[in-house]
Amino acid sequence: MLETPYVTNYLTEHFGEEDYPTIEGYERVGGYRAARKALTEMSPDEVIELVKIAGLQGRGGAGFSTGMKWSFMPKDTDRPKYLVCNADESEPGSFKDRILLERGSHQMLEGILIAAWATGASTTFIYIRGEYAYPADQMERAIGEAYAKGYLGENVMGTGFRHDVRVTRGAGAYICGEETGLLESLEGKKGQPRKKPPFPAQYGAFGMPTTVNNVETFSHVPHIVEKGANWFRSFGTEKSPGTTVFGVSGHVVRPGLYELPLGTMLSEIVFEHAGGVPGGRKVKGVIPGGMSMSILPAGQLDVPMANEFLHERKTMLGTGGIIVMDETTCMVRVASVISYFFRDESCGQCTQCREGTGWINKIVDRIERGAGEEEDLEVLLDVAGKMEGQTICAFADAAAWPIQGLLRHFSDDFAEHVRQRKCPFAESFEL
Amino acid sequence: MPKITIDGTEIEASEGRTILQALDDAGLLMNGVDIPHYCWHPKLAVDGSCRLCQVEVEGIPKLQIACDTPVQDGMVVHTANDRVKAAREGVMELLLINHPLDCPICDQAGECKLQDYAYDYGVKASRSKEPRRALKKNVDLGPTIVFDQERCILCRRCVRFCREIPKTGELAVFNRGDYSVIETFPGTPLDNDYSMNVADICPVGALTTKDFRFKIRVWFLEEVAGICTGCSNGCNIHLGVANNKVYRYVPRRNDAVNDTWICDAGRMSYREIGAPDRLRECMVRDESGRLAPTGLDRAIEVAAGRLRRLIASKGAGVIAGLASAHATNEDLFTFRRFLSALGSETSGVAVVRGKADDLLIKEEKAPNGAGAREIGFGDARTVVDRISSGGIDALITLGHDALHESLLGSEKPLADLDTVIVLDTHASELQRVAHVIVPVRHAAEKLGTFVNVARRVQRVVPAVESAWETYADGEVLAKLGAALGLEGFDGSYDARQVARDLAAANPAFVGIDLDSVGDTGRLLAGSAASGAER
Amino acid sequence: MVISKQTRSKIDAVIAKYPQARGALLPALHLVQDEYGHVSKECAVEIAEIFEIRPVEVMEVLTFYNLFFDSPQAKHHVYVCTNLPCSLRGARGLLRQLESQLGIKAPGETSDGRIFLGHEECLGACGYAPMMRVDGQYHEVLDIEKAKRILDSLGE
Repeated sequence: MLETPYVTNYLTEHFGEEDYPTIEGYERVGGYRAARKALTEMSPDEVIELVKIAGLQGRGGAGFSTGMKWSFMPKDTDRPKYLVCNADESEPGSFKDRILLERGSHQMLEGILIAAWATGASTTFIYIRGEYAYPADQMERAIGEAYAKGYLGENVMGTGFRHDVRVTRGAGAYICGEETGLLESLEGKKGQPRKKPPFPAQYGAFGMPTTVNNVETFSHVPHIVEKGANWFRSFGTEKSPGTTVFGVSGHVVRPGLYELPLGTMLSEIVFEHAGGVPGGRKVKGVIPGGMSMSILPAGQLDVPMANEFLHERKTMLGTGGIIVMDETTCMVRVASVISYFFRDESCGQCTQCREGTGWINKIVDRIERGAGEEEDLEVLLDVAGKMEGQTICAFADAAAWPIQGLLRHFSDDFAEHVRQRKCPFAESFEL
Repeated sequence: MPKITIDGTEIEASEGRTILQALDDAGLLMNGVDIPHYCWHPKLAVDGSCRLCQVEVEGIPKLQIACDTPVQDGMVVHTANDRVKAAREGVMELLLINHPLDCPICDQAGECKLQDYAYDYGVKASRSKEPRRALKKNVDLGPTIVFDQERCILCRRCVRFCREIPKTGELAVFNRGDYSVIETFPGTPLDNDYSMNVADICPVGALTTKDFRFKIRVWFLEEVAGICTGCSNGCNIHLGVANNKVYRYVPRRNDAVNDTWICDAGRMSYREIGAPDRLRECMVRDESGRLAPTGLDRAIEVAAGRLRRLIASKGAGVIAGLASAHATNEDLFTFRRFLSALGSETSGVAVVRGKADDLLIKEEKAPNGAGAREIGFGDARTVVDRISSGGIDALITLGHDALHESLLGSEKPLADLDTVIVLDTHASELQRVAHVIVPVRHAAEKLGTFVNVARRVQRVVPAVESAWETYADGEVLAKLGAALGLEGFDGSYDARQVARDLAAANPAFVGIDLDSVGDTGRLLAGSAASGAER
Repeated sequence: MVISKQTRSKIDAVIAKYPQARGALLPALHLVQDEYGHVSKECAVEIAEIFEIRPVEVMEVLTFYNLFFDSPQAKHHVYVCTNLPCSLRGARGLLRQLESQLGIKAPGETSDGRIFLGHEECLGACGYAPMMRVDGQYHEVLDIEKAKRILDSLGE
């Protein structure tokens, strides 16, 4: 069993309770009341309006308004409508969805039911990354329980509403976390992102109107329906309400999960909750939102973890995966690991991404080996710039930003490699 | 009709077209408005992945790919400002980091879009110091195509072509990211009736035809507009000519006929032109019964003498004419006039039929069956039947298609004829029975027109001259007519004049002459213009 | 037929769950691989027949995803996550040690074909680094002793 979060709030409050992943355990603490309320007391539009007012933002990385997204689903259509739960969590530094699937299975299913009611979706496809074998099995169990109880199927909770949920397992491709790459994969194809428009709300899974939401996004929904928008807004900031489950990894005393309100200071999470860097060493840099977001240097950690503040520092909340690096860390090695990952995971469609990720990785590795030249730093920035904003999906941006961030804040590390013609960080993590 | 402004010029576009399509429709793409592109092809589905065609659309913050951006009324597009140029250079530089710099040994050099665009869109020396991807060279993809994975820029035109046009789908991209490669399934080679088109649409030297590779540098080739003579579709082609030799056929775009494609059989039919079995000299059968070489004048004299003798003894009714669907309208119209002036009552056009598909390949394996019929040649069966019933003593045949099993089956039914006069491009069993043989020109060697299956009149012009003496069929017939003293025959033949005479004589050809027909052809009068001929 | 009746009927059952049969292609590949350890050319041809697509389309999907194999595999698969969060906590050192333990270089397999050792990208266990995935199962908060014990416990 996964370790439960060090700090819990409404999402993860009961994650330590052994029977919480079962439908009995979930209902014992009030589970499925919100779905019943939505399906019997609220119109779909009222649910959408409520989620809009609550200000719930997608927790998968892009941070788009969930209520808005739902409202894009066509209302008067005979075509079947689908929901897709993006459980392809693959962003390095992110490991929250895994526990939300394993421990909060019914919480998420309840969120799905409410979203289905709001959008008129007939089926939800939960796309779980292929490596998450246990979470997938657990979700299947939970879905089975929900069917047995009449919470899924032809006549949900006796309301006449029909909803089915299916689990699809991915097969190892980061790009399937991109919503249209996911849709392609769900349809049995290579996970290559689609050109947009058309957007999924018009042409989504199997060509039908589709809304894609992240695991955590769905998980917030029952709480909003049950306790209201104002209650939800009592957490977080004006623009970024609610909590989120931060994952802290890297050089900290207590790596793990922390459910905290959005807007919690990054420094508070790193130093207080996660216990700071072990061995009395200092922090060098922190990636605040999963590996595709730009790094922040030690001096910039006094920033609230919400997009409106992080944008000012040219980075984003992303998935809330916080990766902490101490003073021994060689940032060229960091760049090497990051660029290798993006090279490996590019789907290969767009020129800039396919070629740019490979080139960046090769340059960074050469610099790390001590064979870099001064002009290489310029080339790196230039190539990253050419990848940004010019491709079918945001993967190329995600590959470019961390390199840009590392060069913005740690260009000295790169320059030293070039000057000394070797890696000057003897104590850095092994490459 | 939405109007869009591109680099300050307003153009009218059709509803629902993309920027590239609108420019293509207007004939401006790469012909006034340069938006370089790799993955986009006018006849294939939009892929949107090479990202080279990015343009700035006012009001949209990010650059947009012109291949996938629908036009909207009032749209203002910039295709050459600094931002667009920088993006383009970026794509070009990235495409070149892994592309081998083997242009000196690459067969595509000279018609390589990577080379062209690198030159046109200002890529300076590569900044890449990294080793290039090492991939497979000389991959045998199938009977017709060789693939160089290292040169491939993954535009996937070939993959889409196989899926969308012949619908055989042999090719796919395996792996992902910069490990992506085009592959076939083991044991399922690229092998379809249109496979060689992938070499044409490959913007680089990754896919080359086994037939053409290493034959000649393309910059030595003169591209002459012509028509494929392999079937009645009349696919538009360029004949690649150097040193008076045709090295290849490549499809020439004509949206009404063949889009941008040609079948492999048609493409390979260029080999007929210089084939060893081309007839190279006039021949007459001597007293010993052997064919002996001679000059044209002597051949005409012998032919005329034999015909004159027959007419004197039995009348012209025993003379039959077999037209060829390989002959031009001008040849055929001359033949028609010749037979009428002669008083022959038996004629027809021999057409070999074969396999057809719903793409380009048509049943009639010759370019001009429709023209021959329009000019008044009926089914060759009439001729065959009269020969077998013994009513014919002399046959003048253009070509040897009548030997096909569906007609004569062999030269044997002609063995007892008094006179067989053959005008042909290639040797055949007719040599066993012919009394006079005159070598005539291949379509690549003469001026004239054909009428395709959809009644489109299309022109061929002399692309090469045979190294030996050959004559247009019409020219031979004109001389023979003069030798026989036929009315209206003075021995001269001018295809342009014959075309005008045909237009005057036959209402279907009204208004059509060798100039007005142009490079893309014109429909016969009274034909409904449609895409159905495709 | 190469694919067993049982697997075939499982594939048919999954197909019934999707609005379009093709949606069941990834599940079908998983099922075939569960049975044979990889998806052979012969299996790809059969899968193509089931889904009414071309074998080459099966291959392009197969080769796109890391979890699918088109050639026979070692009996046990050991993947150490070497992405950034794990690397920061010694994952690469651990991988080196496992390499010397097994006497091979990653990615690679032991000469008896028993164990494949490789590295993998982020597996969603960043807070519990270093970690490895052994035959599909996660093992987290590892040190070399723990990792060796896990390798030792692998069956023949």
